[in-house]
Amino acid sequence: MTAETAALVAPREAGRRISFGWLWSGALLVLLTFLVIYPVAMLVLGALTNTNPVVDGFGIYDLSLKNFITVLGNPNVHFALANSLIACGGGTLLAVIIGLTFSWVVVRTNTPCKRFIAAVSMIPLFVPPLVAAVAWSILASPKTGLLNTMIKWVGIDFRFDVYTMGGLIAIFGIYYAPYVYMFTASALRNMDPALEEAAEISGATPVRILFTVTFPLIAPAIISGMLLSFIVMLGIYGIPAVLGAPGDIPVLTTYIFKLTNWSPPLYSTAASVAIILMIVTGFLVFLQQKVVSGRSYITVAGKAFRPGVMNLGPWRYLTLSLAVIYLIVVVVLPTLALIVAAFRKFLFIRSVESLFDLKQYSLIHFERLFDNPLAVRSIWNTMEVGLITAVFGGILAFAIGYTVHRTNAAGRRSIDVISTLPVAIPGLVIGVAYLWAWIGLPGGLYGTIWILALAFIARFMPDTIKALSTSLLQIHKELEEASWICGKGLLGTIRTIVLPLARPGVIAAMTLLFILAIRELGSSLFLYTSNTMVMAVLLLDYYEGGNVGITSAFSLVQTLLLAVLIGIAHFLSRGGADTSVGRAG
Amino acid sequence: MSAELIVSHLRKQFAVGRPAVDDVSFRVAAGEIVVLLGPSGCGKTTTLRCIAGLEQPTAGTISIGGDEVAAPERGVHVPPRLRNIGMVFQSYAVWPHMTVRQNVNYPLRHRKVPRDEAERKVDRVLELVGLSEYAERPVTQLSGGQMQRVALARALVYEPRILLLDEPLSNLDAKLRLRLRDELRRIIKEAKVTALYVTHDQAEAVVLGDRIGVMENGKLMQMSAPVELYNKPENLFVANFTGVSNLIKGEISAPGAVRLSTGETLRITAPRGKTGDAVLVAIRPENIQLRPNGEGADTNSFPARVIEGHFHGTQTTYALETLGHRIEAIELGTVPRFSAHDTIRVVIPPDHSWVFPQ
Ligand SMILES: Nc1ncnc2c1ncn2[C@@H]1O[C@H](COP(=O)(O)OP(=O)(O)O)[C@@H](O)[C@H]1O
Ligand SMILES: [Mg+2]
Repeated sequence: MTAETAALVAPREAGRRISFGWLWSGALLVLLTFLVIYPVAMLVLGALTNTNPVVDGFGIYDLSLKNFITVLGNPNVHFALANSLIACGGGTLLAVIIGLTFSWVVVRTNTPCKRFIAAVSMIPLFVPPLVAAVAWSILASPKTGLLNTMIKWVGIDFRFDVYTMGGLIAIFGIYYAPYVYMFTASALRNMDPALEEAAEISGATPVRILFTVTFPLIAPAIISGMLLSFIVMLGIYGIPAVLGAPGDIPVLTTYIFKLTNWSPPLYSTAASVAIILMIVTGFLVFLQQKVVSGRSYITVAGKAFRPGVMNLGPWRYLTLSLAVIYLIVVVVLPTLALIVAAFRKFLFIRSVESLFDLKQYSLIHFERLFDNPLAVRSIWNTMEVGLITAVFGGILAFAIGYTVHRTNAAGRRSIDVISTLPVAIPGLVIGVAYLWAWIGLPGGLYGTIWILALAFIARFMPDTIKALSTSLLQIHKELEEASWICGKGLLGTIRTIVLPLARPGVIAAMTLLFILAIRELGSSLFLYTSNTMVMAVLLLDYYEGGNVGITSAFSLVQTLLLAVLIGIAHFLSRGGADTSVGRAG
Repeated sequence: MSAELIVSHLRKQFAVGRPAVDDVSFRVAAGEIVVLLGPSGCGKTTTLRCIAGLEQPTAGTISIGGDEVAAPERGVHVPPRLRNIGMVFQSYAVWPHMTVRQNVNYPLRHRKVPRDEAERKVDRVLELVGLSEYAERPVTQLSGGQMQRVALARALVYEPRILLLDEPLSNLDAKLRLRLRDELRRIIKEAKVTALYVTHDQAEAVVLGDRIGVMENGKLMQMSAPVELYNKPENLFVANFTGVSNLIKGEISAPGAVRLSTGETLRITAPRGKTGDAVLVAIRPENIQLRPNGEGADTNSFPARVIEGHFHGTQTTYALETLGHRIEAIELGTVPRFSAHDTIRVVIPPDHSWVFPQ
């Protein structure tokens, strides 16, 4: 411990300690302003002007609410907004059906292989949305889709078409069901089984119990999961970009990107639409927080319940097969499609026999992918951005989490609020905001790797802090106090007690941040240049360039990379659980 | 209406360990209240849940009003909803998303009771449990005691053949528990329903039950009326559980006499066992009479020394040394008669001491 830190905590030096506290909070607030407040403020300015920051330079704005109002009246915006709401609404409905069914099957029935089903229900969370969309366009495009080739060969007169609103809803629904599942499964687990048993004794049939008691009781969890999946779908770019483009179904996110790709780019219109998207998201986030914090019906009476398990009889094989079908739809089929497309010289498949003709397969797409210097650079760039984001984002999140939860530093409420703000800002909107914040400044961040990393740090700050806070809160306050009593100072305590105990949590949070950063598409779209190309953007480029073979090869490379990283993260966070020595009582 | 319950040779074996319920047989007459009493984990809840149909017994039969509802050997298992029984759960289990009326009306909705008749029934049962003014309230605004009344009303509204109650008062605070305890008996008797009530609280059992069954380790040790249970315990466990705290070792020396290791002989009116058996004599502290030294010597009167006395306000408990044992005695009254180191005499009542094999 240095003399300086000792002085900082000595009671006699209280005056100096307070000024240190202010200095610290002030520094965090400045950093947060730089990361969050400034870009959002620039976005608002951008929405209120009609100047182009690239052409007209930084700081010259012709401010008027008129620009924003004009955008509000634009029928194209209405169309995109309506499409967004329909696609996300339909997708959410499907997600609820799937998520609720599986949570009930896992928690409340005697279906075999429940651990397997529970795992399957969460898998889509790990599939990058863009890769899922690419795979499904290979599977179910109306003309050349592999599924369509198959059913034509079988002789069924039916064709899938994923390039429709229905297709968009279906893909949204199946890939975002885990959000509903997470909430409802834990609500069902925590429910007092006596509530259902009382209904059973009252004379209600099992199906009526489900609809008059079980589902109404977990309604807050269902609504919460619904809102969350809606919010995520609303902000996603990859899926509607891939599936919506051929059928010309613009949603808010794809429309915003189209505006910035116009020539000349309509940056201020994009900012206005981004603000509309942010307002809708913010409202939904507010609703969701209200539902989560509001009175919940779940009545846990403080004892380990044995949730009543329903005996489904022979029907339990039906519920098991539902899970298997789901696994096939979300993972097996898309992976097979990507493999076939990546290794086949030409995707055109005349008949099913030719599908198994090995002469048609080669490594040519992989060779061409890695022959392209841009592809190799994009991989390195992505790793670099991911590493910067993880390290700096992790440190910042630790500093904020510790300040907010473990000190009474001045201004920690504001720090808390500002650092959670990005929850309500979709990635794409962050991208537009950073664009507005930095593109007009000559010699600034724009065009560097750092602007991507800073945008990612801002975007994922709430998730990182939340992940870290859980492990911070698990370290009992008394362990720190014991160290203070032993004569360690604040910094000494953090270094010798908090960091070692929280390290598994910090490493897991950094790994999570790394994974989130390398698959991020929405905010990268607006911030990359040819020098700072990242994998997700290049993948979309390949797809839009029409080269299915290379797209699939690249998708496989990215998926494999992610799978390895997720495995590492899983391993690290399990270590975290094992070393939770500091847990309270 | 109320019906007879017959449980015979009921056994329930969970996946692991000894059976939770082990060869339990008893009968509850129509309109009778029987209490199952026993320490936590002795299998009371499991017995109740088997009768309700929420648990499938491993063996034995259960019949309600002459209908066999569970007989695993013959594959009979009537689901709970068809058994026409009422149940009150320990955790209330009132549905928080409904009002009081909706909660109570719920069972009638599944019995095709005409609407106006259902309304009448709900009103009547709410009056019975004293919740008439609360009918339209959401249950989340009620106190614990009121929620328990809702649960009771919900279980009674369809006039079940049998009412099952699983420690319905254990989640309430002490004062409320006493009040509701007396009221419960009135309500159940007024509803004229056969009731099986589970508790670990002796006082509750004595006040509520027409008969009490004491359980231990999944076995039914004794089932009899409260007075009999306290005055004719059939075994050491029941004696202990109902508060017998003094055990004296000895050997039956002749019919009606037990010789202690210290040489004295105790007269016992109706000892079980034959001459020569090693036994334990069990005596309730309340049944031991204390006399000042020198006062008339009747049967079973022995010298004793007061080790200590604890004043409890309306009674005093004494620890005594006598017959080579440390013995506990309780005397009612607000004036303690003896103090530590006094030499006194104790009288062990021959009619209210029991002998159990050692
Ligand atoms: N579902 C179950 N699975 C396994 N063991 C159980 C289950 N329910 C009860 N038991 C066991 O059976 C025994 C009796 O439990 P219970 O009937 O709840 O006791 P009580 O109600 O008298 O406290 C206990 O040892 C308990 O652990
Ligand atoms: Mg119990």
